[in-house]
Amino acid sequence: MNLSQIVQDLGFLTPEILLTGLILLAIIYDLFLTKETSIRTGYLAIAGMAIVLFSLFAQNVEASQGLFNQMVAYDGYARYFKIIITLATILVMWMSFQNDELKNRTIGEYYQLMLVLVFGMFFLVSATNMLSIYLSLEIVSIMSYLLAGYLKENLRSNESAIKYVVFGGVSSGIMLYGISLIYGLTGSLNIYEIQASLAANAAISPALLMLAFVLVFVGFGYKIAAVPFHFWTPDVYEGAPATITAFLSVAPKAAGFAVLLRFLNTTLTLSGDPNNIALESLSNLDWPTLLAGVSAITMTVGNVVALQQTNIKRMLAYSSIAHAGYMLMGVVVMHHNGVSAILYYAGIYTLMNLGAFFVAIYIKNAFNTETISDYTGLGYKAPMIGIAMAVFMFSLTGLPPTGGFVAKFYLFRGLVGVGDTFIWLAIVGLINGVVSLYYYLRVLYFMYFKEMNFPDVYHRAPLQFNILIVIIIIPLLFGWMIGDPLSTWTASATSFFVP
Amino acid sequence: MITVALLILLLPLLSFAIQIFFRKFIESKNGEWISIGIQLTTLGLAFYLFAVMIGHYDPHFRIEENVTWFNLGNFSLEMGILIDNISVIMLLVVALISSLVHIYSTEYMKGDIRFSRYYGFLGIFTFSMNGIVLANNFFMIYVFWELVGLSSYLLIGHWWEKNSAADASKKAFITNRVGDIGMFMGLMIIMTVLGTLNYQGVYTGIASGEWEGGIGTLFGGANPHTLLTWAGILLFMGAVGKSAQFPLHIWLPDAMEGPTPVSALIHAATMVAAGVYLTVRIFPILTPDAMATVAFIGGVTAFYAATIAITQNDIKKVLAYSTVSQLGYMIMALGTGAYVAGFFHLITHAMFKAGLFLASGSVIHAMHHALHDIKDHDTDAQDMRNMGGLKSKMPYTYLIFIVASLSISGIPFFSGFLSKDAILAGSWAYASTAHEGWLASMHMAWILPFFGFGAAVITAFYMFRLIFMTFFGESKRPDIFEKMHESPKAMTVPLMILAALSLFFFYTIPSINPFSTHGWFSHVIENPGTVVNFGSTFNLEHFEHANHEAHMPAMILSLIVATLGIGFATLVYLLKKVSAESLASKLGVLYKGSFNKWYMDEFYINGIIRPFLKGCDAVALFDMEYYDHYLINGAGRNTKKVSSGVGVADDLIVDGAVNFSGYIFQWLGWSLKFIQTGRIQNYLIFALIGVVAVFLLNAF
Repeated sequence: MNLSQIVQDLGFLTPEILLTGLILLAIIYDLFLTKETSIRTGYLAIAGMAIVLFSLFAQNVEASQGLFNQMVAYDGYARYFKIIITLATILVMWMSFQNDELKNRTIGEYYQLMLVLVFGMFFLVSATNMLSIYLSLEIVSIMSYLLAGYLKENLRSNESAIKYVVFGGVSSGIMLYGISLIYGLTGSLNIYEIQASLAANAAISPALLMLAFVLVFVGFGYKIAAVPFHFWTPDVYEGAPATITAFLSVAPKAAGFAVLLRFLNTTLTLSGDPNNIALESLSNLDWPTLLAGVSAITMTVGNVVALQQTNIKRMLAYSSIAHAGYMLMGVVVMHHNGVSAILYYAGIYTLMNLGAFFVAIYIKNAFNTETISDYTGLGYKAPMIGIAMAVFMFSLTGLPPTGGFVAKFYLFRGLVGVGDTFIWLAIVGLINGVVSLYYYLRVLYFMYFKEMNFPDVYHRAPLQFNILIVIIIIPLLFGWMIGDPLSTWTASATSFFVP
Repeated sequence: MITVALLILLLPLLSFAIQIFFRKFIESKNGEWISIGIQLTTLGLAFYLFAVMIGHYDPHFRIEENVTWFNLGNFSLEMGILIDNISVIMLLVVALISSLVHIYSTEYMKGDIRFSRYYGFLGIFTFSMNGIVLANNFFMIYVFWELVGLSSYLLIGHWWEKNSAADASKKAFITNRVGDIGMFMGLMIIMTVLGTLNYQGVYTGIASGEWEGGIGTLFGGANPHTLLTWAGILLFMGAVGKSAQFPLHIWLPDAMEGPTPVSALIHAATMVAAGVYLTVRIFPILTPDAMATVAFIGGVTAFYAATIAITQNDIKKVLAYSTVSQLGYMIMALGTGAYVAGFFHLITHAMFKAGLFLASGSVIHAMHHALHDIKDHDTDAQDMRNMGGLKSKMPYTYLIFIVASLSISGIPFFSGFLSKDAILAGSWAYASTAHEGWLASMHMAWILPFFGFGAAVITAFYMFRLIFMTFFGESKRPDIFEKMHESPKAMTVPLMILAALSLFFFYTIPSINPFSTHGWFSHVIENPGTVVNFGSTFNLEHFEHANHEAHMPAMILSLIVATLGIGFATLVYLLKKVSAESLASKLGVLYKGSFNKWYMDEFYINGIIRPFLKGCDAVALFDMEYYDHYLINGAGRNTKKVSSGVGVADDLIVDGAVNFSGYIFQWLGWSLKFIQTGRIQNYLIFALIGVVAVFLLNAF
């Protein structure tokens, strides 16, 4: 690997380079700002992210590339997730301007940390080497700890950050151990070489291989909050600044799924080429069954515990666990349809979950409550808020005519389409859908049916917030209707780099 | 070109969105000019398309763009834009009249309580109408068909505080629905047999014989004509509803409850013409039987509505029945095969009828203000019996009324003469070429020209009756008369434009012969003939030949009848040589019948709605007294005894199971909640136990 190769590869990293420039600029710019004006860093960050988004769209990914000795990949798959992450970041930054928790404090660092987090996620979704996977995972984790504890004087926030650090540290340590086992088995950290070595050497003890895989999976599982590595979620989500909670529930989760799927479909398959329509797992490692079990347990635990929650943020935290369970259904099918279903779900889930969190944040700001039963009559008092919440809850449940329904439909179609093996998982998923109906619609029950009276004066949300919500709702309600552009897009985004 | 067409389609929708969502701003800052600006832009674009179309000067000019909307298995629906001579001309007419109405309304609707909503609805109407015109398949036209129905409903009910307006809007909507059901059934037949709804696809499908094999021959003893005839008639039912043809015409006169500019735009010039436009599009697939049905419905409507218009006293009602009658003409023309004449009359009628309606609006507007000034709130501002002598007070309005009336009565040098004459000649030719079947027996087909010429006499008569009652003679209410004055420029200028467009040469350039339709219009619009090439079919050459021969006698006769009508109106209403009252009492039953619209509404209420409701009541009674009492309740009483025993078991077992499963989930959630202790140490232990469990379960 020589210098000219490095320089050549840098040409494929325009968004990342722009992002790095943006981070530095934000840090320097912030030095010149006072407490009152520090919000300008946020404006700068949003504008910069818009440019990054543009540069992502400008990328031509038809010919995929492995960069820096295949440390990271340049392909349509990574670009899709980067776009989702960038969009989510822009939306969350926008909402952050209106989050009361963040008012009256020096806020520059908040945006700087978010940008670094994005930087980590960009590399996470394209990492193709155990080392780069681990490093970018750590960047993402450490930035998440800092952001979760951003409210320094708030004990809950501190507590959540500490729990997050400890839990994250242990998971990451376990994962590192798993990586070392894999290195010991195959002598390489490059995921393609690992695959070649594993596929060629069928004599490796299944138990040992399973141990290595389970340990590595701890790291991913913690990132996507799959049971039993989900324990940090409710506490962190409740304590962290609400906008950060919203962000953590979508972007790092999507990134976690991106890297998990790439790792599984490349390294642990017989062919080693995730672009194949149908894949087969390594003959001595039956990971689809394992993940099917994790998926079933994750969605069940998430949904069942969500039933009991009275606090909207905790409810959404558990529901986000359940959604990770649904998305895992797309992993186990080992089929092209499953991959595109996950991409689709990741896009829709980002919108609907952010939307639900934003409305909850707004209600916290305006009505000072996070308790679901206090939402009584809100649908009449603040019609816009009520309608928005209704759309998000319907979508999260997966009822038509929302994008949530279509996304879930694709997941189930993928699962049922591959044969009878995982019919049981589909049934578990359907039962879980019914369970989730109860707690999602309970929010609407309080908003609309507990008390029905029209107030004389309606509560009006500020225009900035309404615009944000409408931007999220429109693709959710109409995005799938005409030609379903997202599905064409996800179908084309399932192109992986293979050496 | 497609981009321009899409802009024309979507800009009015933007106008709708702006007017609806920024109401406060609009109403405080003259925001109606945003809509007018958008509409004028659309008009400019329509002119551009028109120029391109004229530049080609080709009867077969067409540009089509198609995209697949969605696929369900091997069933797919498409959306697309079709630009051809017909749609370009229609677009221009819609854009022009819509623009004029937008401008006119600035004065007419000034101070209205729902001003911006009114403009918004005009926007969504224009959008939907452009959609109908630009659609390239029957499904898309159906979608926009329903949308114009909706906007018509909204605009008729603009003043919904008035019960009559609210009722009229419902009546319009429901009556149209009857026709639309037929249209939808027609669509389904076409889709089932041919698998496509694209115009060109349908035409070529039938022409290439797809209809003769398979499903097309399932009915009517393997005769493919039967089902195709039904498909044509059912599709045409949509036109019967929308274009207010007998017997579904009843909604249009009531629709006059809407603001007058709306009547001009929607219920005279454009939306009601959509039915004619649809008939134009289905013309090639009509079988001779279907054509005869179309022709007779059109002929009956033309004559029947004209007879009602004679006796009405409400200025807008006269014009409404006149519209129904003229639409009947167009439909009759298409049914008789006079395709060009029918479409031509659509265009000319749009201009002069919009002019008439807007002019009547000008009179009503002035009446309103005058009544307002003398604080009279009971007098009907639309009743012609309160008018008279307005010629001196409203000279422009008067002049425009004269021009448009001459046009509709079919006087040479005006556009109406050309189109009406072509229709009458067409009906004559149709009758003279009918040599087979029931049309030929007893010369049934001659009824059509009879209806046509009859309606022409009556049209000339009632239009001049209207003019003489309104503008001539002594004023019947001097107190109102004194306060009357001409309407402002924003209203009179659009009127003048429309009046100017009632002159013949706009349609005959480069020819300037006032007695011949030859010109650009008859060049670019060409009778497509029929694609039905099996069984008996419409013979285009044969028809054109007969049409040519009928032209001269039909023209002479039509001139005579127009003069007769005007002359008789002059005798009765201007010179008062014949008393209208004594005429009415002499005609007795006929007068009463006409005045009461031949009791059509009563027929629907007493003949259909009431018996239907009575039937419902009877069924309900039977249902309650016998069925419920003996069968249901009797069985119920017995079952109850049995079931009370079963119930006990049920409570325990079945309900128990349901509640139990609910409990299970609640309990599961409740108990799992405790795992979340809040202590990070516990979390780590649980997670590690989880790792070990996962490993052990999967590894061995």
